[in-house]
Amino acid sequence: MGICRAALIRRMVLDFIAAFFSAGVFCQILVGLSRTVILFIVASGLSLILGVLRIPNIAHGSLYMIGAFMAYTVSRIFGGGITGYCMAVILAPLGVALVSFVVERGIFSRLYEREHIMLFLLTFSFVLVFGDLVKMVWGAEYRTVPLPRFFQGSIPILGLPFPIYNFSLLLIGPLVAVGLWLIVNKTKMGKISRAAAVDREMVGAVGINVSLVFCIVFVIGCFLAGLGGALVSPIVNVVLGMDHTLIMEAFLIVIMGGLGNIWGALLGALIFGLTQSLGVLIWPQFGIVFPYAAVIVVLSFRPTGLLRSTW
Amino acid sequence: MKKAMTVGMSVVLLVFLGVSFSYGANTIKVGFVDTYSGPPSVYTFDVIDSFKMAIEAINAKGGVLGKKIEYTTRDEKFNPAVGLAMAKELVMREEVDILAGTINSGATLAISDFAKKEKIPFLCTFAKSEKITGEQGHRYVFGIAENTRMIGKATAFAVAKKPYRKFWVAGEDYEYGHAVGDASWRYIKAMKPEAQLLGQTWWKVGEADIAPYITPILQAKPDMLYMATGGTGNLNFLKLAKAMDLMKVMGCFLHTSIELSNLQALGKDAPEGVMGTVNYLFYYPETPENKAFVEEFRKMYNRPPKVGALYGYAAAQLIAKAYQKAGKIDREKFITAMEGLTVDSPVGKLEMRKCDHQLMLPMFYGVTKASPQYDYLIAGDIMTIPGKDYLPTCDEIMKVRK
Repeated sequence: MGICRAALIRRMVLDFIAAFFSAGVFCQILVGLSRTVILFIVASGLSLILGVLRIPNIAHGSLYMIGAFMAYTVSRIFGGGITGYCMAVILAPLGVALVSFVVERGIFSRLYEREHIMLFLLTFSFVLVFGDLVKMVWGAEYRTVPLPRFFQGSIPILGLPFPIYNFSLLLIGPLVAVGLWLIVNKTKMGKISRAAAVDREMVGAVGINVSLVFCIVFVIGCFLAGLGGALVSPIVNVVLGMDHTLIMEAFLIVIMGGLGNIWGALLGALIFGLTQSLGVLIWPQFGIVFPYAAVIVVLSFRPTGLLRSTW
Repeated sequence: MKKAMTVGMSVVLLVFLGVSFSYGANTIKVGFVDTYSGPPSVYTFDVIDSFKMAIEAINAKGGVLGKKIEYTTRDEKFNPAVGLAMAKELVMREEVDILAGTINSGATLAISDFAKKEKIPFLCTFAKSEKITGEQGHRYVFGIAENTRMIGKATAFAVAKKPYRKFWVAGEDYEYGHAVGDASWRYIKAMKPEAQLLGQTWWKVGEADIAPYITPILQAKPDMLYMATGGTGNLNFLKLAKAMDLMKVMGCFLHTSIELSNLQALGKDAPEGVMGTVNYLFYYPETPENKAFVEEFRKMYNRPPKVGALYGYAAAQLIAKAYQKAGKIDREKFITAMEGLTVDSPVGKLEMRKCDHQLMLPMFYGVTKASPQYDYLIAGDIMTIPGKDYLPTCDEIMKVRK
């Protein structure tokens, strides 16, 4: 009887290991990671603004949407293909950065002294304004950015097809993460912004133009939203309303990781992306639930998020 | 001063009254409630544009019973509560004779309920809920567009003869997704008892990247994947299907995959070999009626008509012919005239079925394929499924209405 049980347990463990290293799981991890990349890029921008400026920018999703629409326009101007795509990924986020610069200088910079709830409502009003602006400029039709031939098709990974574009996202993600790390930790600008996040008055007192620092951080954060939109544009339908689902997820990720902490955003995005892709594997019909369940679990053990919040 | 104002007000009031009286006397008013802003307007503009084109032709020939048909529109912004309020406003203030719309199933059911109480005819021009002319059907509501039950039966009709045995249903987690997925599987199982459902996958509406949901399906190796997505979800799936070349390993079926709004948006990026069904294709059937319709539509709007154009056109023809048959502007007589009425259309003669008030449109089945003629994909291997073959039977409807 004892031997029987031991054999059974060993068998179960082996089965589990075999299942874990199956092609499906490996593929799902890769797919989950490629999804993490987009989520991280957008959420890190949100977190950056949240940490330094203390603005819960709900319009962040709208900037992501504008990034995707701009990518569509740029790609068309350059006649699609690989040139169109590359120009789109470079120019669309810059365009979004320009929009955010105007908005920050024109409106937000005058309201930093106001209460949080005011800023919160202001960003919400921008969701509506941007939504209508997009409709006026681009209309309500469906638009898609053509995937350059270079990225078309899929490569077999352990016998399962894996889209090449998702694969290339896996390479872009670490680049963005390293770039952000360098900006935040190695530049004077990054150091000032971190200091300003902790004690704004003190930074102002030593003669630094805090308003300018805030502006730069806001623009970088929005640039990231635009970059996320441009990167996602070839695999989705660029359409009004694409901001709504994403902003929800981005906020959950930021809350899970710790408000204002960029590495928290990375961790949160990883958890969100991987629980989603692996959850689908475990229980396809209810795969949708897993990332949200993960949020609940994380927050019930660490209500302030996984990493140290700057708030 | 006060007196002057009173006089002024009365004059204004009288003018208003006069205007509405004169309208009441000389025109038939149709009130359209639909989504004219946001993504669904991709579909709804074709309905109203085509309706406008059709009634202009009717009015040019002297109208119906000596009266011109007029219409007015309200944007319900894809919101059932707003839609219902607007329908009420159209009936109370604009005094419309007929209500029509909408693309939102919730709004359509709410307006249908209102129409039943007010005893005013309501023509549903786009919403896909099977409850509209099914469970919650009544004397005053008419279904023009196809609904999820019909889509399911048409799907089964198209694939039952194919050698598929193992099926997988995947789609967006909302009412349309589940309704169309369930109906398709139900009818496939009924027509093909040996069919097996290996599993289902559901993701939330608007999910940007659906790649994570596909691997488990690939591993299960179904013979056919039935996609239950709508609107923008269709495009996300079609893009991924091309990237992963899904059609090589399994049959892929998506209602409206061959529809113009999807294929035109994707251009040459659309995948070949995806099966689908739709009520209208501007290049098929190649009859003089369809060609004339397409030419007229192109001349007026400088674009080929999409599926909504057929719905709008059929609505206009039904209204005109039903009043002609009724002989006077009377709601009850209009309803009776509508029942069993046949009208001409670009896709042939269409009958408004008496038992459930559902228009018997043909359904076109096809497979996406590249075409040298257009810079987007079109449907190949087209097969016409006549209305009588894929509409639920009157017995079925009576059973669900109990």
